[in-house]
Amino acid sequence: MQCAEQYRVQAYFDGEVDALSAIDIERHAERCPDCRTLLEDLARTRAHLRRELPFETAPAPLRARIQRALDAQSGAPRAAPRALPASRTRPFWLGALGSLGAALAAGAAVLLLMPVRPDPVLDEIVTAHVRSLMPEHLTDVVSTDRHTVRPWFAGHADVSPVVADFAPEGYRLIGGRADYFERQRAAAVVYQHGAHVINVFAWVAGRDALPEATTRSGYHLAFWRVGNLEYCAVSDAGWDELRRLERLLRDLGAREQMP
Amino acid sequence: MPHLDAAYRFARWLSRSPADADDVVQEAYLRAFRGFDRLRGSDVKAWLLTIVRNCHASAHRQQQRRATVALPGEDDEPAGSALPAPGPDPESASIGADEQRTLERLIAALPDEHREVLLLREMEEMSYREIAAVTGLPIGTVMSRLARARAGLRGRWLEESEGEPRAVR
Repeated sequence: MQCAEQYRVQAYFDGEVDALSAIDIERHAERCPDCRTLLEDLARTRAHLRRELPFETAPAPLRARIQRALDAQSGAPRAAPRALPASRTRPFWLGALGSLGAALAAGAAVLLLMPVRPDPVLDEIVTAHVRSLMPEHLTDVVSTDRHTVRPWFAGHADVSPVVADFAPEGYRLIGGRADYFERQRAAAVVYQHGAHVINVFAWVAGRDALPEATTRSGYHLAFWRVGNLEYCAVSDAGWDELRRLERLLRDLGAREQMP
Repeated sequence: MPHLDAAYRFARWLSRSPADADDVVQEAYLRAFRGFDRLRGSDVKAWLLTIVRNCHASAHRQQQRRATVALPGEDDEPAGSALPAPGPDPESASIGADEQRTLERLIAALPDEHREVLLLREMEEMSYREIAAVTGLPIGTVMSRLARARAGLRGRWLEESEGEPRAVR
């Protein structure tokens, strides 16, 4: 079971690869007996687990206990001073929903109860980055020439980000890709730094404050803004390496902003 | 309450007893709704399971501090083999109960860090990204642990069934 493709085969089995890679992996498995066996084993194990393991549900007494605890807490304002407006009624979440005047799904209710508005764009970015690392998914236009990559965006994304090959500085331009964030098309410029892929996403600025630099699922995300575009560089490269590329792109963007 | 069943199942697999699991789930939901652990992103299920996992970890640490006799090290490789599996669900205990118990025992014997990714993937049907969010691991580590968990389970199953061809390989 030591075929080098075993992780890709597993990712294929788990539905984590795009259609093109799936075809590629299926072809490989036709030729590779190890990977064929692996696929059979994976399917058998899954079927076995789902058939044999109890799919337990939370016992009613536990549910009631938690509900009581939450209700008790909603009557004690000191517990959540910033979470909710003062006009709460029991039960806890119905009150919260009622005061907002909307019938929302329980999942959405959780979002509303949080003191600070969550930031789904961060998840979108990490997902897009991870998806781009899947085979055959990195670039739509492959080029190390910014004069090829940049015009390509004009036809495929709503934005035209700064693009340059920083090979001398260690950041090789690989190509570009179109993605979607916040329901608008975004541009992704792909750089390679050593063994790391760095996606630099760009979209038209729509919110007041940019998210702060953060790390999610092991990937660093750095944000900045030039003109009317917001940028996010994401990679598993180190912070310093990411910041260096950010500086290069900021400088380049600032130069382009000048008349 | 959103995802309570998933949170409860996850806690049952993490904890050694049903009572511990109940406490962990309650603590997790109180934390969640107090807003102590901010929801980042839009994935509510992954967020709640992350809090369950954290609550379990702190409860476990406290227990270990209090324990006069050391429990088997949770992070040691297959040390878990002596640990009891969660009790079977009485309603499904009729047909195939032996097989179910065997499987539960084999899963309980997996190292904790393998068991959790395996169950999140196979039972909760979470994506690699979601599992990475719950466990705080890079995606690549999720993939390799998942592969090792599956191989480990197959290996143990094979040992148990001593070459029965229809068993999980």
